[in-house]
Amino acid sequence: MYAKAIRRLNIINAETADWVERKKWEEAFHRFGHPFPTVVIDRVEELEREKRIKAVKWVTADEIYLSGHFPGEPIMPGVLTLEGLVQSALIFLGESFTRGKIRVSLEKVERLRFKRAVLPGDRLDFLVSLTGKEGNRWKFKGKAQVGAEVAAEADVILKVDVREVGFEL
Amino acid sequence: MENREIQGILPHRYPFLLVDRILTIEPGKKATGVKNLTGNEWFFQGHHFYPPSLLLESLAQVGGIVLGSKAKIENPLVHFVGLFVGVSEFQFRRCPVQGEQITLQVELTQSLASIYRFAAEAFVGDEKVAGGQILLSFIKNPSGGSERPSAGRSG
Repeated sequence: MYAKAIRRLNIINAETADWVERKKWEEAFHRFGHPFPTVVIDRVEELEREKRIKAVKWVTADEIYLSGHFPGEPIMPGVLTLEGLVQSALIFLGESFTRGKIRVSLEKVERLRFKRAVLPGDRLDFLVSLTGKEGNRWKFKGKAQVGAEVAAEADVILKVDVREVGFEL
Repeated sequence: MENREIQGILPHRYPFLLVDRILTIEPGKKATGVKNLTGNEWFFQGHHFYPPSLLLESLAQVGGIVLGSKAKIENPLVHFVGLFVGVSEFQFRRCPVQGEQITLQVELTQSLASIYRFAAEAFVGDEKVAGGQILLSFIKNPSGGSERPSAGRSG
């Protein structure tokens, strides 16, 4: 069922956007055990392995959750901005581990601040970089931006468990 | 407090109203809310646990009810807006799954100007599944009189 959500995604590499490359990205998405029906990322624009990622979300008014948040006054829920940052980190992790299945869970939100409301029509950029690693806990610093304005900042810790090392997918 | 009354305080509606019932409330101080997970919700299409980000939103909405119910008693004519401004030191132990009832406990610990800091905890039965601090801002609605009360808005 999650595969359906993945098919919606348009993940491309800025340099080589050919089919094989794209397939690889989709497989990266398959490998993390953190499905979410409303995938909050539309596209990955930049990725440096074990360093940083830049992902993009186009905010539009006809998304299911905006009908209740709020009726007649759509504002992108702040917690889904957090979800977008976490999902960017997940793609990043999927690319940092080239083999084996990984299971990732959100362990801790150290600090999260919302600075600006995100409205339909905005383009939301998720800039996430790795700041540290302690055992299986990976620390990330994330920033969600609308143009040059910062919409949200977050420091999160993700727990990564590697399962079935040595098997592709 | 039943869902109908919650909708009188919070502007949130389906599919983003993430509190079902308020069990106990001391307006302006603390509240205990309940969120049931049945498996029919939109976020369950494809997986079986309650996403941690939505758990944060549930707790923030209970916080919005704590502030909104007090404002409704004190100034029933003034419209307030609650904004979700942040989270600090929030730890997730496990994700609640389908068929569980989450008890959301929220207590006001500090208020500075219009920023309110809450200690928020989520339980399944006696087991603590998540806990930390959430920050809400609560201000007079700048646009003045809208026809519905708008408190507990996050974003």
